[in-house]
Amino acid sequence: MMENSEQVTRREVMETAAEVGVAVSLKRRPYFSRVAVAMLAGLVALGAEARGAGDEGFFRERVEPILRERCYGCHSHASGTMEGMLALDWKSGWEAGGDRGPAIRPGEPDQSLLIQAVRHTHAELKMPEEQLPESDINILVEWVKQGAHDPRTVKPVERAAAAREWWSLRDLLRPRAPLAGGANPVDAFLNARLTAEQLPIADDCDRVTLIRRLTNDLWGLPPTPDEVAEFVADDRPDAVERLIDRLLASPHYGERWARHWFDVIHFADSHGFEHDVFRPHAWRFRDYVIAALNEDISWSRFIREQLAVDVFWPEATDRVPALGFLGAGTYDHSAAVTAPMSFELLDRDDLVTQVMGAFVSTTAHCARCHAHKFDPISQEDYYSVQAVFAGIGKGNIPFDADRTIGQQRQKWQGLRKAAERRDAAVLLAAEWEVATRESIQNLAGEEIWRVLLAETFLSSSGAVLTRQVDESILASGPPPETDTLAITAISPLPRVTAIRVEVLVDDSLPMRGPGRATNGNLHLSEFELRVFRKGAVDAKPLAIRRATADFNQEAWTIEHAIDGNPKTAWGIHPREGESHVAVFELAEPLEVTPEDRLMVVLKQLHGGSHLLGRVRVSLTDSAEGVFALPADAAKALAVPPDERSNELRLALAAAVLGRRADDELARLPAPDLVYAAGPAAVNERGTVRIDMPREVRILRRGDLAQPGDVVGPGALAIWDDLPARFEGLPEQESVRRAALADWLADARNRLTWRSVANRVWHYHFGQGLSNTPSDFGQMGSPPSHPELLDWLACEIRDGDQGLKHLHRLLCASEAYRRSSSVPTQLIQADPENRLLGRGTVRRLDAEAIRDAVLRVSDALDETMTGPAISHFSQKPGAQLTPILDYSTYLWTEPGSRRRAVYGVVWRGIPDPFLETVDLPELGLPAPVRSFSASPLQALSLLNDRFLLQLSSELATQIREQSADDLRLAMRMLIHRVWLRDGTEDEVAELAALANEHGLEAACRLLFNSNEFLFVD
Amino acid sequence: MFLSPVADGCSRRDVLCQLGAGFGSVVLADLLAGESRAADGRGILGGRTHHPPKVRRVIQLFMNGGASPMDTFDYKPALEKHHGQSLGPKEKPEGFVAPAGAVMKSPFAFAQHGESGRWVSSVFPHQAKIVDELAFLMAMASKTNVHGPASYMMNTGFVLPGFPCLGAWISYALGRINEDLPDFVVLPDPRGLPYNQKANFSAGFLPARHQGTLIDAGKRQPVPFLFAPEDFEFARGAADKATVDLLARMNKRHASRYPDESKLDARLASAELAARMQLSAPEAFDVTQETAATQDAYGLNRSVTADFGRRCLLARRLIERGTRFVQVWSGPQGAVNNWDNHGNIQTELAPIAESVDQPIAALVMDLKQRGLLADTLVVWTTEFGRTPFAQGSLGRDHNGGSFVTWLAGAGIRAGAAYGQSDELGYQAAEGKTYCYDFHATLLHLLGIDHERLTFRTAGIDRRLTDVHGHVVREILA
Repeated sequence: MMENSEQVTRREVMETAAEVGVAVSLKRRPYFSRVAVAMLAGLVALGAEARGAGDEGFFRERVEPILRERCYGCHSHASGTMEGMLALDWKSGWEAGGDRGPAIRPGEPDQSLLIQAVRHTHAELKMPEEQLPESDINILVEWVKQGAHDPRTVKPVERAAAAREWWSLRDLLRPRAPLAGGANPVDAFLNARLTAEQLPIADDCDRVTLIRRLTNDLWGLPPTPDEVAEFVADDRPDAVERLIDRLLASPHYGERWARHWFDVIHFADSHGFEHDVFRPHAWRFRDYVIAALNEDISWSRFIREQLAVDVFWPEATDRVPALGFLGAGTYDHSAAVTAPMSFELLDRDDLVTQVMGAFVSTTAHCARCHAHKFDPISQEDYYSVQAVFAGIGKGNIPFDADRTIGQQRQKWQGLRKAAERRDAAVLLAAEWEVATRESIQNLAGEEIWRVLLAETFLSSSGAVLTRQVDESILASGPPPETDTLAITAISPLPRVTAIRVEVLVDDSLPMRGPGRATNGNLHLSEFELRVFRKGAVDAKPLAIRRATADFNQEAWTIEHAIDGNPKTAWGIHPREGESHVAVFELAEPLEVTPEDRLMVVLKQLHGGSHLLGRVRVSLTDSAEGVFALPADAAKALAVPPDERSNELRLALAAAVLGRRADDELARLPAPDLVYAAGPAAVNERGTVRIDMPREVRILRRGDLAQPGDVVGPGALAIWDDLPARFEGLPEQESVRRAALADWLADARNRLTWRSVANRVWHYHFGQGLSNTPSDFGQMGSPPSHPELLDWLACEIRDGDQGLKHLHRLLCASEAYRRSSSVPTQLIQADPENRLLGRGTVRRLDAEAIRDAVLRVSDALDETMTGPAISHFSQKPGAQLTPILDYSTYLWTEPGSRRRAVYGVVWRGIPDPFLETVDLPELGLPAPVRSFSASPLQALSLLNDRFLLQLSSELATQIREQSADDLRLAMRMLIHRVWLRDGTEDEVAELAALANEHGLEAACRLLFNSNEFLFVD
Repeated sequence: MFLSPVADGCSRRDVLCQLGAGFGSVVLADLLAGESRAADGRGILGGRTHHPPKVRRVIQLFMNGGASPMDTFDYKPALEKHHGQSLGPKEKPEGFVAPAGAVMKSPFAFAQHGESGRWVSSVFPHQAKIVDELAFLMAMASKTNVHGPASYMMNTGFVLPGFPCLGAWISYALGRINEDLPDFVVLPDPRGLPYNQKANFSAGFLPARHQGTLIDAGKRQPVPFLFAPEDFEFARGAADKATVDLLARMNKRHASRYPDESKLDARLASAELAARMQLSAPEAFDVTQETAATQDAYGLNRSVTADFGRRCLLARRLIERGTRFVQVWSGPQGAVNNWDNHGNIQTELAPIAESVDQPIAALVMDLKQRGLLADTLVVWTTEFGRTPFAQGSLGRDHNGGSFVTWLAGAGIRAGAAYGQSDELGYQAAEGKTYCYDFHATLLHLLGIDHERLTFRTAGIDRRLTDVHGHVVREILA
């Protein structure tokens, strides 16, 4: 066990320590060697009493320890941090000094920045924050006074350079498989090691065990008796490979392995925290992962899709749910509202933890408060990754599951944006020439409008209103603060499709109006049209589909006049002194008779006399072209086509094409939604639109009150050939995500490929080659077979990058087939089975227990996709979190027989049964599932409603099939659940139980049997 | 095809069987209980402690929502003097729901009580009588003013989700006293779970067996899954017994094919313990077995105190029978019926305070009379305090700046107080303590050095106290 010697040492240390009742914090070897060095130094020091402050001994014994302990953390190559550009770990460091110049003036302690800083006498520099003991300060002063003799003349090794030698950061080169080990390279590596260690190797398990193992492993389900029989009878030499292929081709594969990924990234269907709000659209991401795994997409594509599918494949609108990855984790809704600064810091921290743990098995989040204590990750690295996510909001993001609709939507959204930006390159392009011309031809002229002849008109504030010759209404007299104008009239048309409101200039109005505010502005808060049928005394406002205006004041657009919110309004600043027009289209054409009365209500509630000065209302029955053309477009229309300037052409094209885009978009079905993160998302706070990334600063001690330098987006600065600062990117959040995805998916990223290879291994064998799948750092577990891991990492990196290739390699290996039922000396030779000389007994995962019960009972509903199924009843809670009751859920409801992966995982209120069988807490990523066996678990397996309900149903089936022959029934039951023939004893014992207490009792027993719950 | 499991090596199970222990034996269960010492029934410390413990069991009373210090235990005459003045922060601090209003005096009268002369407001007349039994941390602080993170902090030591709570750490470290009962029991307010839902009682990254067992004290069968629902006759009574017995035989037969498989052994042992829990738990949870006098003392005869009183009494019964850690919650999450008194201190704090006051005093005195206080610790906690400034005109906002915790029982210097808030009670002024110090002190009393109780996960040897924590010796006997 040479390669494992360190582990053995650690285990021994732990055990020894545990025996004397000490929980040890495992220290690594370098610690012991440091201790040794310190002891040696101490011995030397015994003879150093007489030395003065000017020699090397004094420095080494008295000064350097202080610097090392108190200053190196932020000012050394080894820490990877040099705050203020100052290094104190070699002579040139303090000689050259940092931002403020040399840190020490030899011989002049009072003039030395270093001394001022440690004395806390400098106005700004007070270092370290917790002041050094007087005695330490005196030593430093004495040293400087005596000339600051410093023997450290060699530049220290950069931390990153030293750290690159760590197993997970080393160059990833394909090792040669040992020749003697076996045909499958996996076995070649494993067997070579077993042989070298002279460890015994277990025999193959039997065929039944193998198919059970494989089916549970790849599907998370037990095989049926028929599947077992077929496999056992298959004597073709490649029967195993055929079985593996069949299993991998089934969609059950994706359902099983998606669940693993959800653990790794702590995906759940609710927020967690104080307001544990449900995410009704989270399931889209679940379906995405299942589909992506079933498609066997390459790992690099899997990375890129989840981080930035919107950037890499904008046309693939159906893949947008991949971004659910970014929304997988927790969300502190309460803090988002009341403590936004700390919320953002910690929300991004969670994302950094998730991304870096899941893809590159690093604990980057350990560098939030200080440089990583063990791994080469600086605070700058950490905050660079935070900066990647500094422009995203979490919430529901619209997308089109139907790609053709998605492309339509993108096309028209693109056109609308171009119209808003007046982008000539798009709007005047040949592509849109015909459409523009036709739209212009279709534009209605003045002739479609019929002026409304007011029967009555009334000001709620008693303003003086007079009818003008052009049928407009002019207000005069002292202007009130606010007003509502109501006009009633008989419709001049039997059918009405739109209403036009003209606000007209008049010499009597301030600045000629058209409003009554001192600058001539106006604010139309709400527009309403009501129709009073004959004899009616009340009528509701009619629905308005759309409002347009020839001009909109910034942030005071015409939509505000139909938003039902009296606090928002349409305005015309700074274009006072001109007449303006607004058009309101009805949602449905209105049929009216001369008996009916129309009432137009114009609410002007903003205050400050932002009132309509002179107004005229017209109607139309036209179906086409009824909208308010922007003023410049209207001007263009008045000019003959061949005389229009480019500017006019553009104005006209923007107006008609923008309108066309709006029409087309309105015709498309509503988009689908996924809970994810992106430049804009909708959540309980409304629309969170960030897009332009926020500034991210390095925070000393992770403290918001101690901001340091601004950092841009980036990743871990480890390898020279893989740049870790994403420079020159446009100021747009999505490209940052894409840059990180590129960094992660790069073939030169040594961590990515080792990480995924190990993760796959971990789920197949129950433990990884490294036992810490999301931590390949110094605190993680080094791999048992580093060469094998590298070989596998190269295998996935250099091939099609799909996981299925790895599954085939691993599942078809001899190692995978080894029996777990072995003599005790074989176990004692390698208790933890790190060298895999035998198989391992494993309990079914929480979800797999439910799924297995369903399949054995012939009750599994194989429906895939769709909203998550709730296995609880729900009632409103005191605030946003509802009260869930799992105990009364009847397992006969629609969808209750689907696989557990389709069930709701409520982060803070998980299913109590699943919890007892080790469903991980998903507040943090859970790269490994723990195993526990508690009394409560024993009770939940016995008494959970689900298992009892299915026991009843299985009993009914068996009863029908066995024609009341109890012994036959028991043989059938054992065959179904244990996939083998029962012994005479077993049949007799179970029959006796069933005879006394019913077949149901026997079914319940088998569901609780370890032979069913464990895969051997 | 199989290698014969009956081989010349002697399996761990064989060895233990020769020692004469049956599967029900606690010792055997301990040794076989799982993958590592962490899954051991005796806890990671192997049944030992770092130093001799003063405390073996703990009852934690958690006032959910942020109990106001200056209206309960932290008397601030300056509030009267400055009442109505604008002395608060100009900008809304992180986590405040609204900008700070004017200074607001307490609507309740304060008086000094006991030999210690501790000031207590009129909302706690019963606790006022036992102040000489209590030791106060008068200047605890939180790093956040938001319920979720603050509740995490008081329960797990971190403002983020995913970390094990105090009870889980204790279970992990020390294991069980009595195998027949859950070792970490949570008694939530029947009106609803606290902020963070069940994540406050989670085992986080520790094995799931250490998470709190949620007990619905109002239910006839409070322990979840203890017995099958009544509509499944075949899983109850004699049928259940016969099934479980045969199951044990069959599982043992199965385990014999895997001589050193600890997971199978752990299942066997846990089934045996489950059967014992079925026998013990109904009795333990039956408060009607208490005398009428005891029930009245806890307030079971008054509607305002009946629920919290019943749960306090249940806590005592569990502790008495060997449950290690019981957490009793007052108040669900939400805007009403808890300690989050934003709207009106007088009308919102008074009733919630009344609902707990008599039961708490009764619990402490009952434990004392029964001699249980000799190795039991009772702690009164909340997630943060409240502002001395009004929210609206009558309520108080969240304030992590300073709040009060008290401890009573084994190892505690009764009548002591440590720390002091500033003149207004807004920030800790002297002797500031965080959850780290509180947790370190609790672990210390239990015989655990908080710096040596660790669990490695995601690259770090995690502790309950993160990288902080000092034992507050000033309040220790």
